[in-house]
Amino acid sequence: MKKVLSLVLALMLVLTSVAAMAETVSLKVWGSQEDQAMLAEMVEEFKAANPDTEWDITFGVVGEPDAKAKYLEDPAAAADVFSFANDQLYDLLAADALYEVTRNKDEIVAANSAGAIEAASANGELYAYPMTADNGYFLYYDTSVLTEEDVQTLDGILAACGAAGKKMFMDVSNGWYIASFFLGAGCTLGLDENGKQTCDFNNEKGLAAAEAIQAFTANDAFLTGDDAILTGGMGDNIAAGVSGTWNADAIMEKLGDNYAATKLPTFTCNGEQVQMASFAGYKLVGVNTMSEHPVEAMMLAEWLTNEANQVKRFEARAMGPTNINAAASEAVQQNVALAALSLQSQFAVSQKDVLGNFWTPAEAFGTAMEAKDYSKDLQTMLDEMVAQIIA
Amino acid sequence: MRKSLRRAWDGLTQHFGALFEAFRKGDAWTRLSFVVMGMGCLARGQIVKGLLYLAAEVAFVLYMALFAWQYLSKFGTLGTVGMHKEWDEALGIYKRTPGDNSMLILLFSVMSILLIVAFLAVWRSSVLAGYKAQRLKERGEPLPGFVQDVVSLMNERYHVTLLTLPSLMVIAFTVLPIIFMILISFTNFDAEHQPPGNLFTWVGFQNFFDVFWKDPMKSHTFLGILGWTMVWAVFATFTNYLFGMILAIMINKKGIRFKAMWRTIFVITIAVPQFVSLLLMSQILHDQGPLNSLLKQWGVIKQSIPFLTNTTLARISVIVVNLWVGIPFSMLITSGILMNIPGDLYESASIDGAGPVRTFGSITLPYMLFVTTPYLITAFVGNINNFNVIYLLTKGGPLVTDYYQAGKTDLLVTWLYRLTVDKQDYSLASTIGILVFVICAVLSLIVYNRSASVKREEEFR
Repeated sequence: MKKVLSLVLALMLVLTSVAAMAETVSLKVWGSQEDQAMLAEMVEEFKAANPDTEWDITFGVVGEPDAKAKYLEDPAAAADVFSFANDQLYDLLAADALYEVTRNKDEIVAANSAGAIEAASANGELYAYPMTADNGYFLYYDTSVLTEEDVQTLDGILAACGAAGKKMFMDVSNGWYIASFFLGAGCTLGLDENGKQTCDFNNEKGLAAAEAIQAFTANDAFLTGDDAILTGGMGDNIAAGVSGTWNADAIMEKLGDNYAATKLPTFTCNGEQVQMASFAGYKLVGVNTMSEHPVEAMMLAEWLTNEANQVKRFEARAMGPTNINAAASEAVQQNVALAALSLQSQFAVSQKDVLGNFWTPAEAFGTAMEAKDYSKDLQTMLDEMVAQIIA
Repeated sequence: MRKSLRRAWDGLTQHFGALFEAFRKGDAWTRLSFVVMGMGCLARGQIVKGLLYLAAEVAFVLYMALFAWQYLSKFGTLGTVGMHKEWDEALGIYKRTPGDNSMLILLFSVMSILLIVAFLAVWRSSVLAGYKAQRLKERGEPLPGFVQDVVSLMNERYHVTLLTLPSLMVIAFTVLPIIFMILISFTNFDAEHQPPGNLFTWVGFQNFFDVFWKDPMKSHTFLGILGWTMVWAVFATFTNYLFGMILAIMINKKGIRFKAMWRTIFVITIAVPQFVSLLLMSQILHDQGPLNSLLKQWGVIKQSIPFLTNTTLARISVIVVNLWVGIPFSMLITSGILMNIPGDLYESASIDGAGPVRTFGSITLPYMLFVTTPYLITAFVGNINNFNVIYLLTKGGPLVTDYYQAGKTDLLVTWLYRLTVDKQDYSLASTIGILVFVICAVLSLIVYNRSASVKREEEFR
């Protein structure tokens, strides 16, 4: 009898330990290198707010730009909760990577700006939790060289820069920035009903935009390069530059009291002044469909993007919130760079409808313009570029 | 060719002949071992051996039924049902249940096919072992027991013991991935067919046709890049070789002082990791880089020289930088051989009145080529796949609008990298990988077999 009893006891012990193990929820979270400390803090608070569950939350360093590529390498090994740039949404959906946001959907839709919700939606479904609204670009300038009137037009900036022996910076050999001219001229980049990329950058408006790009890159005051060139040269040889909020601190430091930012200027297109457009990009948090604990992963994703954490993100890393209340706060309103971004946002085009094939051909066109390689006429190059983009 | 076919046929008939003989002359137990492995051994008293064969069969059947079949049965289509989505009212989410996954089907199918081949070999050996035991028994000779078999693995069959593990490793880590990769080039695995959401399937030779003529954009890119890859490989190999040799000759010349010092100075550059030098060079040659700024400051130029952004200049730049990186290596290799050339050859040449150019062309170069042809072949193949220099210097740029996702200094291998990493265009990349292999293999075989090093091997002293 004793033997049986001890056997039963031993079995119960095993069972309880199995049950205890089953209650542990293991989740993996991806975030960029710079966000790791902040993420860890948020997750600790999340654990504290949900003490009933045994959490085992681990982190991986995968920045938003690389999320899609890393995810597709092995969906089953990818994070349960990961942040990504919203132009990856369709590619991720093609792999059925994201859970629909169905829990607390109404609250989430109400709390975030309409643009952010649109950027995270497809076919009428919400697929991700909006996190930040700062993936865009605008104009930084040096008030000791340029006046508020100068920065209204591209010609004005170039003339003033040229007169002062300074440069205007824009990375034209980058699909993200060069699209500013085409979209501003009225061209479109979209998707057809089969989800294929459409692009009309080679029509008449596109040609006019290309001519404007050609004139801009040929100007002596034009300067290209990567972020390091801009943040290194601002205030020295650069008086104006097109970039985004991630460079705000560095530029503010270089310019000091002369620091200013505003919307992009207008440019001359077919003899008329046309406003330069931009991409509006959002960073979103998605829940992996291969997750073993989808409900808990959704709780965490929602937590990471709630109002308090968006405020925290703004305070720690100056990232623009998508949460309406967080965005309305005084601190956000007074941030020069974010104010410029929101001024530009009325001319911004959602980046969601841009698929992976756009970037390399657009960069190729920009490279040719910067290198002043006019061996082919503009129309031919545009036709080739569009053929690749829609391929 | 005919001979080897003949030999293969003979081998095949011999293998099956043995099985056939075992079936014809075998008794009931031996014949039973065709179906139930190990019976031939068990009936003759080789209990452990027979049980091991039986266990292998059971394990194989279980493996096939429980694991492999779900993948192998879908090998023909690579899966038809994607991930299933269903509304779960209790949780309030669209619950996913995994469907087929083309990649796993392909991977596990290849693995299972390899295992089936291995199992067939075990099956054959079990039948033959049973037959052998039967014959030994008939002749009244003693049967080797299990212990004796194990001991023989340490003695006359020691090679089996030694080679089993390495062979298994090679199959698991080299053969299996290669077969997997080759098979991918016959599918449409790309950004639009990403399992588990969208499955991919077989498309036959579609990718090869696309690359050669069917898809004008891809074939134009492929041929353009192939051309540049060849030009690059020729220049990168021979300029390094020639300049390295000239440098070695100069240092080696009589009357040059501090030979060891000169050699050391050039070798020291090897101490800096190659990728560091290359990244530095790419910064220095940048449009806004130090070199351009310096030249502008001195008033030599007004506009930046587009070292890395103009097609022609970028191509020249990568070849020149590659010279800078590669010369010390070829200098080291050649200087050793140079010192080996018999001095009397040069003496008689100078008595005959030959100048330095003639001596180089008639003595040094033929001698060097004779010795170093195999090295040149490896260097050439290495340059066809010289990812580092291109990727770290230009990333394949300048990009152009008429190439499909590629630039003017892209080699086939850097294009392949871009296609896999940036574009998830796995099937196309895998096709290019196969073509690169074919090109390298054919070129090296032809050149190697025609080279003096092979043809006149006996003449080498």
